[in-house]
Amino acid sequence: MNAQLDTVGDISRTTSKHPLAGRAMTGADIVVQILADEGLDVLFGYSGGAILPVYDAVFRFNADHVREDGSEPLPLIVPANEQGACFMAAGYARASGRVGVALVTSGPGATNAVTPVRDSMADSIPLVVISGQVPTGAIGTDAFQEAPISQIMGSCAKHVFLVTDASTLEATLRTAFHIARSGRPGPVVIDIPKDVQNAPLTFEGSRELPVRGYRSRLHAVESATLTDAHCAAFFAQLAQAERPLIYAGGGIVAAGAAGPLREFAHAFGIPVVTTLMGIGGFDTTDPLALHMLGMHGAAYANYAMDDCDFVFALGARFDDRVVGVPDQFAPKARAIAQVDIDPAEIGKVKAVDWHHVGSLDTTLDRLLAYGARKGFRKDLSAWHAHVAGLKRAHAMNFCRDSEAIQPCAVIEAINRITNGRAIISTGVGQHQMWAAQYFDFREPRHWLTSGSMGTMGFGLPAAIGAQLARPDLTVIDIDGDASIRMNIGELETVTTYGLPVKVVVLNNSGDGMVRQWQKLFFKGRFSASDKSLHKKDFVRAAQADGFEWAQRLENPADIPAVIEDFLAFKGPAFLEVVIDPDAGVYPMVGPGATYAQMITGDWIASRSAPVAPTGQPTGMF
Amino acid sequence: MRHTVSILLQNEAGALARVAGLFASRGYNIESLTVAATHDEDVSRLTLVVFGDDATVEQIIKQSAKLVDVIEIGELTRKEHVERELVVARIEADGSAVDSCLGRFGARLLQREGAQSVVEYTGRADEVDTFLDALRAAGDVADHARSGIAAIERPLVAA
Repeated sequence: MNAQLDTVGDISRTTSKHPLAGRAMTGADIVVQILADEGLDVLFGYSGGAILPVYDAVFRFNADHVREDGSEPLPLIVPANEQGACFMAAGYARASGRVGVALVTSGPGATNAVTPVRDSMADSIPLVVISGQVPTGAIGTDAFQEAPISQIMGSCAKHVFLVTDASTLEATLRTAFHIARSGRPGPVVIDIPKDVQNAPLTFEGSRELPVRGYRSRLHAVESATLTDAHCAAFFAQLAQAERPLIYAGGGIVAAGAAGPLREFAHAFGIPVVTTLMGIGGFDTTDPLALHMLGMHGAAYANYAMDDCDFVFALGARFDDRVVGVPDQFAPKARAIAQVDIDPAEIGKVKAVDWHHVGSLDTTLDRLLAYGARKGFRKDLSAWHAHVAGLKRAHAMNFCRDSEAIQPCAVIEAINRITNGRAIISTGVGQHQMWAAQYFDFREPRHWLTSGSMGTMGFGLPAAIGAQLARPDLTVIDIDGDASIRMNIGELETVTTYGLPVKVVVLNNSGDGMVRQWQKLFFKGRFSASDKSLHKKDFVRAAQADGFEWAQRLENPADIPAVIEDFLAFKGPAFLEVVIDPDAGVYPMVGPGATYAQMITGDWIASRSAPVAPTGQPTGMF
Repeated sequence: MRHTVSILLQNEAGALARVAGLFASRGYNIESLTVAATHDEDVSRLTLVVFGDDATVEQIIKQSAKLVDVIEIGELTRKEHVERELVVARIEADGSAVDSCLGRFGARLLQREGAQSVVEYTGRADEVDTFLDALRAAGDVADHARSGIAAIERPLVAA
């Protein structure tokens, strides 16, 4: 890397001089000092040869800065493997909105971090992953534990730095945090050769890399204001609409725009559907909330999207799991308006009639103020009545008198106690969708799920990171028997650090979502998705990892008492629930299908005749 | 259609691969790609020529504009611009036939050993094609190397 520092007009975040400026430090000491300067209170990582100097610097930093209560300022949480560490950092970031940090070694350490880095990129989660690398002289020689991380991560991360010039290390570290959290957030990887970690350097205390293209684009987006004329154009379209609908995505959560969204929706009486990533961006108990839309969205949310005549997309990207068939998405919408911080998202899937590239919170505040100033008012009572009718007629439901435990009944029982105020993380599959459908979320950053990448094994490590970010809240991992196996080693991490994480495994003996697709599209051939012959005893596994509270729930009648006992336990608790293996996720908009072809299942009323699945594998995924 | 994309890029590890990868992963063959340092040695100018439908290329350009290393990116196809490509060729032929071809195109002779000549020509990509055809008519073109396209906007004409 030849990144050169600005010679004049240094980009400096601190106006006063850093108290340690001018001090002699090694590269590794500088890494740790920057982590402390960034306000981190926990690190996640697994050690190894090429990152040893940084681990040693963390140890020395903690020994030199022990707090009065004996705690360490930068505690290191050590996972079972690096994927766990990075998902913990991602869980920390998702729950707190701050940048999560993971420290991993070269080669396999760094390649184990690839999945969570890509996962964080796909869901716009701010992460800094610091990886050791073989010494600069050995790069490209197939050295022990060498991997081409800058190339690998370059395709997965928001940005990757390979620091080959030690004099740029400090500025690179600071810049990495800036890039991770600014604009559309994302993961940044810093690959640091061991000799750079050991290099004798002088701590400067302030500089960043110029990254001038990035900064100028960021400045353009951050300073973009809505003119009166542009506001007027928006309200002219809204005034034409009889059935407007807000379609809110993960951008609302990332931008901290839940407050402005609530005010905007209420000021003009516009109902809100959210994407999977947008859950929590709008209080699900709000009368205007229509919950999640899309492939497994609420039937009434999808019908509302089918019926609306104006779509206001906020930090949502018209993903294939939402849109299905782009041409037939929101078929009656006469206009679509879109706000996003990322110019590449505007009109990417659907052409839009009005758009603004900018921050969601300031944009919504501005539109709200303009509308209020102009006294914008529109009688939407007919639309409200229609939407209320949809919610009544097509309410979420499941089999309530089954002899086998229905997963949704378990989630409802937990929700009755947590009341939308717990942090819920999930793996990927049916349990993830049931959790998205049946939990209430009153605030953003309480719903942690691998949305875009769909990474099984996300739930447990993310819950660990979230519990460290929010020790004041109940954190519950709603997991599946297959998903939790992927990172089951992290059960031990929960007990090692005494975290009161609550782990629920909804056990349907296999990959339930895969089976659901195989039933619908592959004539019931359960290729590799049935685990009923697997031998694992989850309760004993949890007990072996130190869970004092570990139980199996098999009888529907026991649900209320067991759930209450489980959630009331002060420490880590593990609950396996043996659920109906045939329970499906409904509604379902099949891949490549339109909302009109939605299958609502046996317990939710459909407003059209059921469409038989084709029984053929489709080209869609 | 054919798109000429001009990019100013920070010289960082993997920067070039990231830009090229965005185009390649969408299945677009990069017809030509030229890279060289600018007056600022930390910044390179890339000129990239691809074939693709307008909407998709526009989307890839938007995605490329998100790469941290990219300082500037723009499509020259939509602007008045000048494109040039260099070719060097080794030809086995009668010297006078080669010279006459060079004369017609304004190309240059770089070296001659017996019946072998090394020649150089600069022009638009289609002119380079025509020049190579003319050389082949004059003799046996043993080998040739094209530089790929360098492009720049035309000077702004004062109104």
